[in-house]
Amino acid sequence: MNMAFEPTIVSFLCNWCSYTGADLAGTSRIPYAPNLRTIRIMCSGRIEPTFVLKAFREGADGVLMCGCHPGDCHYQEGNYKCLRRYFLLQKYLQQMGIRKERLRLEWISASEGKQFAALANDFTEAIRQLGPCKVKTVMDTLT
Amino acid sequence: MEEIRTGVYICWCGSNIAKMIDVQRIASEAQKLPNVVMARDYKYMCSDPGQDKLIGDIKEFKLNRIVIAACSPRIHEPTFRKALEQAGLNPYLFQMANIREQDSWVHIDREYATLKALSLIKAAVSRVEHHKSLDKKFVEVNPATLVIGGGITGISAALEIAGAGKKVYLVEKTDALGGIAAKLDLTFPYLESARQMLKPRIKQVQLHKLIDIFLNASIEEITGYVGNFTSKIRLKGLEKELQFGNIIVATGLQPFNPASIPEYGYGKLPDIVTSLQLEEMLIQGNVITSKGKEPKNIVIIHCVGSRSAKYHPYCSRTCCSTALKYANQLLSVLPDSNIYELYADMRTFGKGCEEFYSDSSHRKILFLMFDQENNLPKISKAPEKDTSEMIISMHEKLSGEDIEIPADLVILMTGMKAQPDAKDIARLTGVSLCGNDFYIEKHPKLDPVATTTDGVYIVGNCQSPKDITESIAQAKAATARVLASIAVGNMEVEVTTAHVNEDVCCGCQTCIMVCPYTAIHFDEEKKVSVVNEALCKGCGTCGSTCPTGAIESRHFTDIQILSQIEGLLKTEKESI
Repeated sequence: MNMAFEPTIVSFLCNWCSYTGADLAGTSRIPYAPNLRTIRIMCSGRIEPTFVLKAFREGADGVLMCGCHPGDCHYQEGNYKCLRRYFLLQKYLQQMGIRKERLRLEWISASEGKQFAALANDFTEAIRQLGPCKVKTVMDTLT
Repeated sequence: MEEIRTGVYICWCGSNIAKMIDVQRIASEAQKLPNVVMARDYKYMCSDPGQDKLIGDIKEFKLNRIVIAACSPRIHEPTFRKALEQAGLNPYLFQMANIREQDSWVHIDREYATLKALSLIKAAVSRVEHHKSLDKKFVEVNPATLVIGGGITGISAALEIAGAGKKVYLVEKTDALGGIAAKLDLTFPYLESARQMLKPRIKQVQLHKLIDIFLNASIEEITGYVGNFTSKIRLKGLEKELQFGNIIVATGLQPFNPASIPEYGYGKLPDIVTSLQLEEMLIQGNVITSKGKEPKNIVIIHCVGSRSAKYHPYCSRTCCSTALKYANQLLSVLPDSNIYELYADMRTFGKGCEEFYSDSSHRKILFLMFDQENNLPKISKAPEKDTSEMIISMHEKLSGEDIEIPADLVILMTGMKAQPDAKDIARLTGVSLCGNDFYIEKHPKLDPVATTTDGVYIVGNCQSPKDITESIAQAKAATARVLASIAVGNMEVEVTTAHVNEDVCCGCQTCIMVCPYTAIHFDEEKKVSVVNEALCKGCGTCGSTCPTGAIESRHFTDIQILSQIEGLLKTEKESI
């Protein structure tokens, strides 16, 4: 393996749309960057801000949240709640000294395998450009 | 405290996983993880011997947590949960790591794919430690069924259920039953009358005591859950409430409007008609041009709006055989006419259809191939001196020649598209849409009429374009599922619901505001929130809103997800 910086990205995917979309990328054999590590939740509305902060604390260089497209939420409106938390989280992250670009929210439907693969590549590249997130190193030194 | 004894299984899935992931290496790495009593790799975990091994190990090694790294949990989580139950272990003390769909199938570097798999397994191992046993819950099933859509598919479903002695509410948005089939003259490939097939069935539905028909009706709202749905429907300004246990969605489709294809000039020249317009002419027994003459040259153009990046990418599936049906019908009513079939590819699948094509090709029908992607045939008005009204210029793909065909009547084989209100019905019933607004089945092969919402089934053309045979097969498949649930009388429901810890709840009621199902109410006496678990669908939004952490989203608890994140990131920057 080469020693160039390979970002680690935690992705939270909702069960009904985004996780299914990611599975579709698999069944369609669309290759994408291996940097994403997925946590399946039932709804993007379940993504508690703590989960995102925990991911950065434990060493994630980027966090991706995905839900159903607006209007398509399996639970009617969980994705809108996720959207609100996303805006709030972006502000909070900046105050913590984490670039807000390290957190991204995107809508992926169950039929968007191709789009999911493209997103994984795009976000991985964006985080690669930003370089490693130092939160874990700093926190490990402080605590 | 119970001692956690985790068993980890890494499935090869034949070569599907094993070719891209070093399964033996991760099995030996997994063996070193906390609480892991044993880790194995095996060729096919989902096979009977695979499951037997799992069951045997649970008993022999007294395993109380199981991690299986294999395909997507959407495929085999239910399989393995059953195996756990067989071994006497609660099915929720189990976690899958998706190392096939989201790893071996999408990565091309074996080293990275292996590292990722290990990371996903570490996450699962550290999550499963915090899993709790959850007990099954059942609800009674209301034996009535709502059928949405009164076309041949909905009618078939309604008759089947009512025939078994169960109540049906049949809701149709137009003023008549029959749908598209009522607009057809004959059916392919045996050229039988659609009306002779449809009419007695409509009569049967109308006379059936167990079927309530609501015409001109719209559905305003559907609430509840499998076994116990409630719906408000609107009929001529009146609102009516219905209660039922299952829903069959048979909302059909609409024909594509060819006016958007400039080459065909639909709506500009008088003698260009769509397939449904020709059906009407055939039913009336009146195939004539706008000038009242019998058409001499008749051109049938295939794939109108189908299989094209510009309009719809999918095949509408019935048009090729329907076009052959027209050629045969027209030959019998106008034996002196010249019939041309302009096709992109002939797709006459289905029982008897290829034979129908083969027979038709020996008749007086000229088949000409055009280039659907780059070069559509072009219809224009013929010069005055010509005997025919129109002229079609096209590049014939097989001969490579540019040709012109005279035409008195042009029939456009319009494709099918999703209903304009497909999205509204999807929202009401909790069904997902594919990119073309057709409904998505629970599993394309193993569960083709169920949806991800329990108790909601999709049949016929709302799921994707199909012919009457397939639509009715689906309708009957769904009714079998519905009748089975009614026969059992109760149904297992979601146990991964939210739960309030009353000692921690501060009574702020934020959860009540965010719950999309009004499943939470406030207990004024105790001053705490209470979840109605029958209404809760387990989305977890309340859990992530609760400021005190009083709400536990079962099976997706804070500690479970936080441990999963820890496990996920443990591998990174440490080497193996």
